[in-house]
Amino acid sequence: MPHLRERAIAILAGCLVPAVALLALEIAARSGAVNPTFLPPPSAILDSLRDVVLSGKFALPLGQTLLLLFIGYGIGAFAAICLGVLMGSSRAIYNLLEPLIELLRPLPKPALLPSLILFLGLGAKMEVTIVALGCFFPVLINTLQGVRAVEPTMINTARTFGHGTVAIWRRILLPASAPYILAGMRISLGLGLILVVTAEMISGTGGLGDAILTSQRSFLVKESYAWLVILAVLGLLLTWLFTRLEQRLAFWSGPQAR
Amino acid sequence: MTIAAESKLRPVAAPSAYRLWLRNSRASGVLLVLLLLCLWEASARFGIVQSVNWPPFSAVMASLVAGLVDGELLPVFLSTLWRMARGYAIGCAIAVPLGFAIALWRPVRMALLPTIELLRPIPVPAIIPPLIFLLGLGDSLRLFAIATATFFPVALNTFAGVRSIEPIYTQVARTFGVPRWTALRRVVFPAALPFILAGLRTSLGLAFIVTVIAEMIVGQDGIGYYLVAMQFALRAPEMYAGIILVTCAAYLLNRLFVAWEARAIRWARLADTAWGDAA
Amino acid sequence: MSAAALGDKAASVASPTPAGARLRIDEVSKAFLGPDGGAVEAIGSVSLDIEPGEFLAIVGPSGCGKSTLLQVIAGLMQPSGGKILLGGQDVTGEPAHMVYLFQQYSTSLLPWMTVEANVMFAFNHRLKLGKAEAVARCRAYLAMVGLADFVRHYPWQLSGGMQQRVAIARALAAEPKVLLMDEPFSSVDALTRLDLHALILDLWAAKRFTAVLVTHDVDEAIFLADRVAVLTHRPAALAEVVATKLPRPRRSIETRESPEFLALRHRLLDYLLARGKDGSHASPA
Repeated sequence: MPHLRERAIAILAGCLVPAVALLALEIAARSGAVNPTFLPPPSAILDSLRDVVLSGKFALPLGQTLLLLFIGYGIGAFAAICLGVLMGSSRAIYNLLEPLIELLRPLPKPALLPSLILFLGLGAKMEVTIVALGCFFPVLINTLQGVRAVEPTMINTARTFGHGTVAIWRRILLPASAPYILAGMRISLGLGLILVVTAEMISGTGGLGDAILTSQRSFLVKESYAWLVILAVLGLLLTWLFTRLEQRLAFWSGPQAR
Repeated sequence: MTIAAESKLRPVAAPSAYRLWLRNSRASGVLLVLLLLCLWEASARFGIVQSVNWPPFSAVMASLVAGLVDGELLPVFLSTLWRMARGYAIGCAIAVPLGFAIALWRPVRMALLPTIELLRPIPVPAIIPPLIFLLGLGDSLRLFAIATATFFPVALNTFAGVRSIEPIYTQVARTFGVPRWTALRRVVFPAALPFILAGLRTSLGLAFIVTVIAEMIVGQDGIGYYLVAMQFALRAPEMYAGIILVTCAAYLLNRLFVAWEARAIRWARLADTAWGDAA
Repeated sequence: MSAAALGDKAASVASPTPAGARLRIDEVSKAFLGPDGGAVEAIGSVSLDIEPGEFLAIVGPSGCGKSTLLQVIAGLMQPSGGKILLGGQDVTGEPAHMVYLFQQYSTSLLPWMTVEANVMFAFNHRLKLGKAEAVARCRAYLAMVGLADFVRHYPWQLSGGMQQRVAIARALAAEPKVLLMDEPFSSVDALTRLDLHALILDLWAAKRFTAVLVTHDVDEAIFLADRVAVLTHRPAALAEVVATKLPRPRRSIETRESPEFLALRHRLLDYLLARGKDGSHASPA
């Protein structure tokens, strides 16, 4: 069965580099080539990870990070899609809002953190706001691109059949621009994760980012790496889930904006 | 009713120049921005929003000018730019060749691509605290973070770009018997360049973001640290001045990159439109 | 694409092939992996001998595999079975002294290079001439196709017909023993096509390479070629090979009106329209 054999080789080849890297780290840390207090051997990290997971300690920070991420991401993406569709459909609205957006877009959103802290203090409100702001722009830009890429012929055809504006939005505009929107949402997901973690580190009020920083400051090096692994797994899961979602929703399109 | 008669009933005038300008101009948008700025100024000056965190726009601009001319703002900002440039360059220098290698050689792809995809979703700021022990609280830590953040999108975009070049280009090289390395240099690389440059451009924004974050977390110097410091000191005009400066710089960098990109792959844009017309 | 696709032709080009070599297609077959995993036979089994310096046209119903056959001969694709021999040497998979002229000529011209650089690309890696010599050579070939004034232009600044002429100039600049043409004139307008026919015949008469032309246009095939090979519907097999027996030099209008031309045209079209579908292989389509 050549097919199965090929897959097996692919999996093995893929695992080669991580396995070798982990082994090298293990040896380096144990033999003292790297100071084990600074870079613990993977086996020790694994122990710490097991403790964190089994004791249930991971639940609260993980839940908090996830919740804040989703709320911020949801608000930002939803607002961006609505605005993107509006701007893409109406020249007047586009002309009105485009200069403002062009001014705000280049700003690296983390630069707003100090300002947000002054207004909203440290904590959930600030974190959700920065995530929403950060996720807003990539989705908006991509939605705009997507809406404008929709062939006017498609819309005109629907019009000649008597479909109203909202129906056209729902049944033609959104599905046709879905690949672009999803690409923008994918970018925003990564950005959102970066922002929520950063905000938690600066805020110090819980969440995975805070857990990593706190454990590092308390010199619990192994634990800080364990938290990092949990965060990495979270990132992986979210990415994988999103890719599946993308495939289901926009299976008919080819590679789109990255 | 005949078509001729009907068309007489509904004359369609060509849009006048004024109408065209009205349709395309961003005048309304510019007005909106100016209006918001006036609101900002007014709300601060007349105490509508009472807060030390809400300085009038004029105070912010004054602080910006002062900071640039003889203050601390400019050197701080330049150090950030220099840091970002180095991290970005390192990240790209590793990512582009690696992207090519992954695209062209199957064993390399099978070995490295899964690892890259595995590591990519890790938010870069999260790796900073654990690495403080290893790399210290200095430049190397921040450069490492910036380079890492730049590496992933550039490598993956390069990989995708090389894979999506027209197969006919390599067939042309093959039919004329062009040897492998020459073909790489003269065919594959130029063909993939538009994709690579697009990846480089999008990574620029990410590099800027990570630079600011790294400076905030590590807290030594740079504009990220400056903003946090101004926030702690409740010096709002300076803080907002910093934000405005960063925004302008990001905008300029992007425009510069786009202009350079357009020149470097002039042929791609023109070729696309030419063929689009001919097709 | 992969690094393997780039190939390494240097070795086979170094060994000289005797002038006037015969091209032999020996029981070549080609099958692809279909969408459902089963094999799709594109070429059943084709054997053909092509005389040196001959102009051969290959026609057949659309989708029958003629372009695939040409790519296999060119070495751009590996056959599933059989061999390609040039002058007795097996050149299967290694394009040697054979240049392939692509159907999509506009994409085949590298857009980041000028017309001159494109033509130079065909030979300078092998000949390694100095700048002045190489440029002179380019201009000579471009002059042959009437485009000497356009050396500094980019391909996308030229019209379709001009692009195809650049592609022809580039192909000839490589001084091939065999020129393989894949429906090169199908996307130009009718008048330009007649011009290009005359051009190709002039160049062929001057350079005396072996020309193999794949086309769906029966008129074009008969007008240009010494012999016309007719393929059946997929999986392609050789239905028959007909000699055109028309006097050379061919004249654009007169030859096309001659009774021999019209008779052969009638015969081939009749075959292709009626019998090309089932041909000598009973095919379910």
